[in-house]
Amino acid sequence: MPPRLNLLTVPRTIAYRPKVAASSLRNGALTRTSPLYRNYSDSKDTLGADRSKDPTTQPLGGVSEEAAKTADITGSKGPELEQGTPVEEIVKDDKEAQSKLPKVMQDSIKSHGPKGSRSFSTSARRCDFQTEGLIHAEMPPPLASMPPGVKFGLPTLPVPADAHLKYRYDPAVKLFTNLIMEHGKLSVAQRNMALILTHLRTSPPPTISPLRPLLPGSPPPSHLPLNPTLYLTLAIDSIAPLLRIRSQKGAAGGGVALQIPVPLGLRQRRRIAVEWILAAATKRKNRGSGKGGFALRLAEEIISVVEGKSSVWEKRGMIHKQGVAARANLKLGIRR
Amino acid sequence: MPSSVCLRRLSLAPSDLTAHAMASRSLLAYTQTASFSQSAPLSAKPGQGKPAGPARGERTLNLGKNKKVQRDMGKRPAPGERKALRKRVVLSNTNALVVEGLNDLTVGNIETGDMQGQVVGLSEPVIDSLRAVEAFKATQGWHLFRRPAMLMRRETTQVSALMRDVETRKKTVRRILAGDRASGKSTLLLQGLAMAFMKKWVVISIPDAKDIVSAHTEYAPLPGSNPLQYTQNAYTANLLAQIAKANSEVLSKLLPGTDLKLPIPTNRITTLADLAVLGSKNPELSWPIFNALWTELTQPGRPPIMLAVDGLAHMMAPSAYLSAEAKPIHAHDLVVVRHFVDHLSGKSALPNGGMVLAATSGSNQPGSPALKFSVQLAEARAQGATDLPMWNPYQLVDQRVMEVLKDVDTLKLHGLDKRDARTIMEYYAASGMLRKQVDEPLVSQWWTLAGNGNIGELEKGSVKMRA
Repeated sequence: MPPRLNLLTVPRTIAYRPKVAASSLRNGALTRTSPLYRNYSDSKDTLGADRSKDPTTQPLGGVSEEAAKTADITGSKGPELEQGTPVEEIVKDDKEAQSKLPKVMQDSIKSHGPKGSRSFSTSARRCDFQTEGLIHAEMPPPLASMPPGVKFGLPTLPVPADAHLKYRYDPAVKLFTNLIMEHGKLSVAQRNMALILTHLRTSPPPTISPLRPLLPGSPPPSHLPLNPTLYLTLAIDSIAPLLRIRSQKGAAGGGVALQIPVPLGLRQRRRIAVEWILAAATKRKNRGSGKGGFALRLAEEIISVVEGKSSVWEKRGMIHKQGVAARANLKLGIRR
Repeated sequence: MPSSVCLRRLSLAPSDLTAHAMASRSLLAYTQTASFSQSAPLSAKPGQGKPAGPARGERTLNLGKNKKVQRDMGKRPAPGERKALRKRVVLSNTNALVVEGLNDLTVGNIETGDMQGQVVGLSEPVIDSLRAVEAFKATQGWHLFRRPAMLMRRETTQVSALMRDVETRKKTVRRILAGDRASGKSTLLLQGLAMAFMKKWVVISIPDAKDIVSAHTEYAPLPGSNPLQYTQNAYTANLLAQIAKANSEVLSKLLPGTDLKLPIPTNRITTLADLAVLGSKNPELSWPIFNALWTELTQPGRPPIMLAVDGLAHMMAPSAYLSAEAKPIHAHDLVVVRHFVDHLSGKSALPNGGMVLAATSGSNQPGSPALKFSVQLAEARAQGATDLPMWNPYQLVDQRVMEVLKDVDTLKLHGLDKRDARTIMEYYAASGMLRKQVDEPLVSQWWTLAGNGNIGELEKGSVKMRA
């Protein structure tokens, strides 16, 4: 017995329309080509012709207008369209009569003229200088050697690193900002970052301790406040650890974890350094009150890092010492 | 929040009718009240009984699972110390570079007006006076540069022209400084005050109108006033101290001409500066002394007066003070505010000429629809519009505010033009605060990003390193 349900036939007709090819769509959007044939009912006008004067496009009148028109054609007397006495027309040229009109009508006569100005503005802020556009007013003269289709000239290569929208801030500053951020509030973090940089700019130049040398080749301390981004980057990079200690469970035998040093990349090193600075700043005492308290503590911690006073230096020293001790545990890739 | 002491004092001032009514009502409600009470007349002395918790820094036994690590907080900051740190105004950055060729503003170049479009510095005595009247705000960018300097913009020239007019024709000029947020209203006010100090005017400035109406200082009804008005002795005394300090050079040369009619011996007062100092030291007499000082200053032959206020919207609304009936007191019923408002509205004129400048604030303003409407109306009037804006008749209006601001003109601040923007950006760069080459594309870019040259936004974008 054949199965009652036939899977191969379609139970009902499907309204299936084949997909319009993308190329034909694009053509239709860009250029209106006239069709090859024209129906009798189609207008003889071309597509873009002005049809606003066409009798077919005019709105229909009311019932009384229609009746009046029919009466006009048949020669009979139709309904009166004008209601009341057209006083305004009567007194149109009579100044004396106009002055005796009620106030409402005087106002309506006056209001026919063009108004002085609106009470509200429909434009953006007025510019006093006509030459000032939103974009740089003096356009560069079109060069003869400019390739066709280029309006503002080609960018000078190589494109600077911060020209991209997503990478417009200094990478170290951006990393720091993102690590300050709490609950996804980036703008609060950015405000705090601005406060930190301002504090670095306004505090006196740091006195660098010879016991805690900064990165080799760092600028003299008097140059730092005027370049707060460099100041911050120098503080982060100076304390950034070179490695971390990974403990491998049970590898040392007897359930003891084996300490293995692992080298870190630039972002990883910076990230650890920033986290140490944040931890040290959290333990500091808040001196003032209000919004910028944490930013102030953070800025003071950064200065103390550069001056070699911060406890972060001990952390870094400890990790490095551990790394030296755990060097023996490294199994470099010796293959047989 | 008003202190309870003041309310108690106020409740004595009106007749005791209400008190009687309250008493009779309570007698009706509780007929079985005892004629005596067994409760102790005073609460227990502090220190007796069980303390609420361990004292600060004391070690306690904590057996709980989640032990909190207690941090040693050290000594607590003294009262007001943290606020002082927050409100501190720093006017110098020793790291910033000294700008070569930065000229000071002088009386001479105010008069000629050839400083327009340039950045000018302020001289030391003027800075001291401006500091005394709290014209510098902590939120402004003074702390970034070597010394206070400002751009002489078109609006500044307008103010200086008005001041020249005042001096020649002895008229009273009244203006509301209006404009977008961060468009430089407070700075323009500061420039006006600086020019007034240089021209040896007498400057009376209310640095922030919020402080008068926020009910943080004591108040008391003014005896014999109808309708009832209120004095603020502590505030007025502080104002007199500011007047004395800021105008010491002018006031110490003015001698009292009339009988001062004060209830304390005034034989030691030789100059008006002494009078102001006396008022600052006797808060209970500060208002009569302020009046006496004002009477002296409006005598013929005295210098013009500059009256200034920042944050006008706070003055144009009911204050946070409460009357004896526990109703909010309108700000115009406070005597200091009323004194200012009478001169702003033109009800009282300055006989020796002078200027009344009131700056609105874009960032700290309570809703004052009447003020907003009045500013719109004044702007439409200034543009010569024929159909002026109308107040929505279905909306409640603060009639007192409307009446006061009926015919006050505004001075509207616009964005800088590109030339001025370039000047100020070159100053930033010369101070070492903007580490970029200031050229035409950069100026255009920042000018656009700053909302067509809004100077506060320009500073925020180019100097304050928002990243």
